[in-house]
Amino acid sequence: MSHVNLSAEIDRYAYTNALSKSSPTTKLLFSLALLLLSVMSPSPVVPTIVFLTSTILLVGFAKIPCRFYLNLLWYPLIIVAVSCIIIALFFGNQEPLTEINLLGFRWTIFRDGVTMGFNTFFRVAGAISTQFFLVLTTPMTNILLILRKARIPKVLIETSLLIYRYIFVFIEVMETMHTAQELRLGYSGWLKKIKSTSLLLGNLFIRTLEQGERTFTAMNARGYDGNIRVLEDLPKSSKTALAAIILLAAALTVVAYFTMNIGIV
Amino acid sequence: MLFKLENLSHQYSDGTLALDNVSLNFTAGDRIALLGTNGSGKTTLLHHLNGILQPTSGKVYFEDKPLKYDSKSLLNLRKRVGFIFQDPNDQLFAPTVKQDVAFGPLNLGQPPDQVQKVVEEALRTVGMAEYAEKPPHFLSLGQKKRVALAGVLAMQPEVLIMDEPTSNLDPRATSEILHLLLHLNKESKITLLLATHDVDMVPIFANKLFILNKGKLVSEGSPKELFSDAELIRSINLRSPRITHLFEVLKKEDGLPIDEQLPLTIGDARKEILRLLGQQKPSSPRKRKSRVHGS
Repeated sequence: MSHVNLSAEIDRYAYTNALSKSSPTTKLLFSLALLLLSVMSPSPVVPTIVFLTSTILLVGFAKIPCRFYLNLLWYPLIIVAVSCIIIALFFGNQEPLTEINLLGFRWTIFRDGVTMGFNTFFRVAGAISTQFFLVLTTPMTNILLILRKARIPKVLIETSLLIYRYIFVFIEVMETMHTAQELRLGYSGWLKKIKSTSLLLGNLFIRTLEQGERTFTAMNARGYDGNIRVLEDLPKSSKTALAAIILLAAALTVVAYFTMNIGIV
Repeated sequence: MLFKLENLSHQYSDGTLALDNVSLNFTAGDRIALLGTNGSGKTTLLHHLNGILQPTSGKVYFEDKPLKYDSKSLLNLRKRVGFIFQDPNDQLFAPTVKQDVAFGPLNLGQPPDQVQKVVEEALRTVGMAEYAEKPPHFLSLGQKKRVALAGVLAMQPEVLIMDEPTSNLDPRATSEILHLLLHLNKESKITLLLATHDVDMVPIFANKLFILNKGKLVSEGSPKELFSDAELIRSINLRSPRITHLFEVLKKEDGLPIDEQLPLTIGDARKEILRLLGQQKPSSPRKRKSRVHGS
């Protein structure tokens, strides 16, 4: 269950990286500004700058191990690359670039299609890097506190708060049940695999209901009245950092404007 | 009387009679152990003291007034009577240690900077101050139990009710928790009531003992009184503390002239052995570090 371990690892880095104590508001603004710039950019130049900035901040400043970061990037980038190849091959209708023979069909590739494919790849890669920056440097709890300040409906925030906490409890429960089933040969064969998985899921569902009941009781015992109150003590954002983000965003907008017509092909 | 239970019975909706006509009482400042096997009704009884469960019949009195179950009365009760659950995962619901400990005081309507203070103090008391910003899933079971304790201490209760506070803990963590509890009882005069089946722990911890079996109160008294009756203890599938058992065997099988009152703790046993060896007092009285000997 490596994907489970991977998300637990991300969570661990969010709390232990060198930037975890810096203002979450600043980090959120930074990643959102760069995300927008990257996605809206007409050429690959700005996304490349965005990608490099996030990567340098993550590896150089937040001290996230390079290997781990590359490992994370790898999966989404492959999916994006495949999609972009499809865009490059099948989109576009101006300026034929070349013709290929595809299973007996003659297939025309257009210049604007290829440009679109490349641009999309770079935009998405830039965007992904900004989001990895956010999740790898900012503890989930801080993100939720900001959303709370931003007046996102209470029920969503409180639900996310509880989900975030109990997801890790249930990962543990699931792993224990899975091991217990495996030790009694529950996964030796295709049919048994299906049966064991369905049993596991059913049990897990019942466990979540029971856990909910017990947590509710425990919360009541400490005076729960329908409102989850939290202490708001987020690290303050520094004016310099905010100014730097605004300057960077402005500079990138200018760059985007002047590099509008630069394409790979 | 701090708490008084009068003919308390509780029947769950599936028909199980978990408590059968239990009457007991205890005073402020006591250290009480509620001893019984699994399924003897300990948890059900504890849940009545905090208003989590309501009796099917009978009454619960707190400071000679019957408990009321409207939300305002319950809030007032829970402010004074803290409850610590057996599984800390039930109790720790907030995404960070600090937020979890702050939950109770915030519900009591304390202002944020005061909450900040009590949270820090509670975490310091249980020795978890440096974990304030960590999410609970980073902690070991022993650490989670301490945080759960801090969450209740932050509400500054007068009574602390605990369901198996040392279950599944390693010897060191057990000893640390017990020590902390005894300290709270001594320094802050907090009344302690804990449910357990760890008989070795009871004589170290408790000055008063209630024994439950199949939902009925079988016996009450000091640990010394109750553990003298080895037959009763065995008849309800419990046992004497190990050290007591050893002295019982030495007395009965080997005919050693051991005192009628069998020792219950290592400390008692030490005195008794020295007495038997003809030395009333340890020859070189080494000041022992006060450590709690768990199981």
